[in-house]
Amino acid sequence: MSCEIKQKERIGTINPIFTCQPAGAQYVSIGVKDCIGIVHGGQGCVMFVRLLISQHLKESFEIASSSLHEDGAVFGALNRVEEAVDVLLMRYPHVKVIPIITTCSTEVIGDDVDGVVIKLNEGLLKEKYAGREVHLIPIHTPSFVGSMVSGYDVAVRDFVRYFAKKEKTSDKINLITGWVNPGDVTALKHLLSEMQIEANVLFEIESFDSPLMPDGNSVSYGNTTIDDLTATGSALGTIALNKYEGGKAAEFLEKEFDIPAIIGPTPIGIRNTDTFLQNLKKMTGKQIPQSLVRERGIALDALTDLTHLFFADKKVAIYGNPDLVIGLAEFCLDLEMKPVLLLLGDDNLTYPTDPQIIALKEKVDYEMEIITNADFWELENRIKNKGLELDLILGHSKGRFIAIDNNIPMVRVGFPTYDRAGLYRHPVVGYAGAIWLAEEMANTLFTDMEHKHNKEWILNVW
Amino acid sequence: MPYHEFECSKCIPERKRHAVIKGPGEDLTHALPLGYLNTIPGSISERGCAYCGAKHVIGTPMKDVIHLSHGPTGCTYDTWQTKRYISDNDNFQLKYTFASDVKEKHIVFGAEKVLKQNIIEAFKAFPVIKRMTIYQTCATALIGDDVDAIADEVMEEMPEVDIFVCNSPGFAGPSQSGGHHKINIAWIKKKVGTVEPKITSDYVINYVGEYNIQGDQEVMLDYFKRMGVQVLSTFTGNGSYDELRAMHRAHLNVLECARSAEYICNELKVKYGIPRLDIEGFGFEPLSSSLRKIGLFFGIEERAQAIIDEETARWKPELDWYKERLKGKKVCLWPGGSKLWHWAHVIHEEMGVEVVSVYTKFGHQGDMEKGIARCEEGALAVDDPNELEGLEAMMTLKPDVIFTGKRPGEVAKKIRVPYLNAHAYHNGPYKGYEGWVRFARDIYNAIYSPIHQLAHLDISKDEIPVDKGFQTAKMISDVKLSGEIVTSKTLRQYTGKYDSVSDLRKKTYPEFKKSERSE
Repeated sequence: MSCEIKQKERIGTINPIFTCQPAGAQYVSIGVKDCIGIVHGGQGCVMFVRLLISQHLKESFEIASSSLHEDGAVFGALNRVEEAVDVLLMRYPHVKVIPIITTCSTEVIGDDVDGVVIKLNEGLLKEKYAGREVHLIPIHTPSFVGSMVSGYDVAVRDFVRYFAKKEKTSDKINLITGWVNPGDVTALKHLLSEMQIEANVLFEIESFDSPLMPDGNSVSYGNTTIDDLTATGSALGTIALNKYEGGKAAEFLEKEFDIPAIIGPTPIGIRNTDTFLQNLKKMTGKQIPQSLVRERGIALDALTDLTHLFFADKKVAIYGNPDLVIGLAEFCLDLEMKPVLLLLGDDNLTYPTDPQIIALKEKVDYEMEIITNADFWELENRIKNKGLELDLILGHSKGRFIAIDNNIPMVRVGFPTYDRAGLYRHPVVGYAGAIWLAEEMANTLFTDMEHKHNKEWILNVW
Repeated sequence: MPYHEFECSKCIPERKRHAVIKGPGEDLTHALPLGYLNTIPGSISERGCAYCGAKHVIGTPMKDVIHLSHGPTGCTYDTWQTKRYISDNDNFQLKYTFASDVKEKHIVFGAEKVLKQNIIEAFKAFPVIKRMTIYQTCATALIGDDVDAIADEVMEEMPEVDIFVCNSPGFAGPSQSGGHHKINIAWIKKKVGTVEPKITSDYVINYVGEYNIQGDQEVMLDYFKRMGVQVLSTFTGNGSYDELRAMHRAHLNVLECARSAEYICNELKVKYGIPRLDIEGFGFEPLSSSLRKIGLFFGIEERAQAIIDEETARWKPELDWYKERLKGKKVCLWPGGSKLWHWAHVIHEEMGVEVVSVYTKFGHQGDMEKGIARCEEGALAVDDPNELEGLEAMMTLKPDVIFTGKRPGEVAKKIRVPYLNAHAYHNGPYKGYEGWVRFARDIYNAIYSPIHQLAHLDISKDEIPVDKGFQTAKMISDVKLSGEIVTSKTLRQYTGKYDSVSDLRKKTYPEFKKSERSE
């Protein structure tokens, strides 16, 4: 009885859990104010990622393409980047920040994006846009390396590396949220505000839960400003909630500017939220107020109603972004559930040395498998052909047919969750996230019990 | 000059020749925008790539096939579960997608070995499926992997399988349209003529350029079967790989989306002498005349007419109920390619709406030619529109509804223009007589949504009506209608089911005897 970590044995991918690096960089780019990214590659690398993110958030936002074609693929396409920067600046007068995000094609042909940025800075920006604040940031995200997760990580680091400046040390901390939803940012900012802590939040994406207003606001955009990014270099400390999505930036700030970094754990569940508050306290000297004691109490009250009566021993499979999967697994264990299969969808070689994964490996007292470089077939094949029995699946919408076809209840969580309404609005982090997750899991199990006539009468007297 | 210059595009003057306003008395020689040219970098257009045109639009609707993309996983992931092309084999092609998962080391040392192993693994995981299409991507095209050679090698080792290779990397052409062309040509060159079909009717067609969005193909197949016409293959929605290898034995190619699939029809004409008949499944009149033309071709007009009469009697009163309520409503018809001209005139004639603008993301000049010829005077026609132009057009034209894609639909929502999904439909299918009523119903529901009406109220400034606890669409739509129409006993709202397709799969059809001579 133990927990095993292994790589997927097949070489190919049947139904991928993740998309590729440029998507992660694009998700970062929409969190920055006055920023429109240019993806240097084929048009599909942008069009489909915009579709994907807009399916998830039910919002639109802007990302441009350099529109690589055959001639560029043969002769080099840096001229397309130059033109794209110019066209973007001409037509979007508010734009100040332009990350230039590479893809597999432009990395293979070896386009020197860093070189063209120097050229544009010396030429076009000085000549045509003198006096205008413009920042061009090369971000290298070849699709054949890592995944959308590492693409996110790389992009956060590159934004921070570009803007961070050491000025007078401030009382602010840096909070790097990782790949989260607008609802998570709201929940995190609420915790900070209860602790009276000010932070540079990377990234302020709350506005992607945007209203439909009488004056007609057409697109959504993030609210992390150049000033926020610059100020990361003078912060009291950095808390990166997700080690695989923002950890690199925290390490950079620590190394470059001696800003102490606390990386992880993701504040999913009561225990990890407690740790987050403790870390905040340690970093700032601020006390945890009564209001949060009460909030925590409300969450505990809600969870206590559910754990041993409904959750105990329920077998769960979890897939998605690694920090999310680990956080959810830990929370499930606290809820007396049994996460039996964790799927991490890329080949990051550091997973086996992740302390949280090691802890699972050493301390879990039943059979658990952690698969790295996983695809959805690792889950489906176990259910269909190897007798894996599950009570619940936790993960994003791309795995929906496994749940549907095998009659296993599923809670949508992570990115993307386009097949359920409004999930981007609900946090999974903090005490509020713990309540939402637990109640969503419980209600999903209840609906399934009723649908299958599986002791549905138990709910009569609950 | 009829060219229209957008304020937002004055700084990119080459855009000026991509938009025209159809002026009074002007014909197409005055008013044809440029088309199918490379997009201006940084303009934020809505175009996709040639890989998606091949794989996502045309390749994947083939239902009994392992669709394997040779490259990193992103291309595969991004084009997976973003369309609604269903199939009658439990949606295998929607549910499963395969990537060879090319990593950095393969970029350096070549990914052919990895591809071969992938192919074998995929067939092993799904032993029932014996057919595969492999799509090249940007990365593997650039490193020069010989995908065809690997496919041949596997076919030699595994004689029970058949593999089709489509070399259409993302950068191959100005838009997804380049991919449509590439996969059309590759299919006829490599696969057509490699299977001999069983001919069961005197009247044999291929149904081409039809992707079974929400069941369109199954609706049309129902009519063809009722006419006793054998549909040898559908290119490609709900289509079967081996049936498509037998396309050469049809008597007629019936072509729906000429933008994406006329290439294969033209090649089938050249190579096998099979004539091409362009038809339209959208709209009562175009559909009726399409069925009549097929009937005429085979000399079975009366069978076509029987269907037309029956379906028209059943559904026309419902279409007309909506027409009365949609008259004069302004529409931006902003699809990808062919719906620009499939819909432009017929939504005007049969639903009474005014098409104030047409655009096409990846259409060619020929599509614009047809679209502009069919839309109203004064309409704004835009080729390869970009984000700001779309917004400017909506702000000036103030349409009542817009037919476009999912993400641009979000832009429309925010400026309080309801949207319908032109690519994947809202509650389709939209083809067929019933389908056309479903489309009218969706338009009506969008325009007259009580929630949409509320979005126009500014509670900080406007007088807030306090006398209503609710409104229905009908309370809003029927205000200005004559009593005669409101109380009409003949007109009625849509009466079909939520799922209008599944029942078709259970249907049986009359047998039409095949004549001896065509054996």
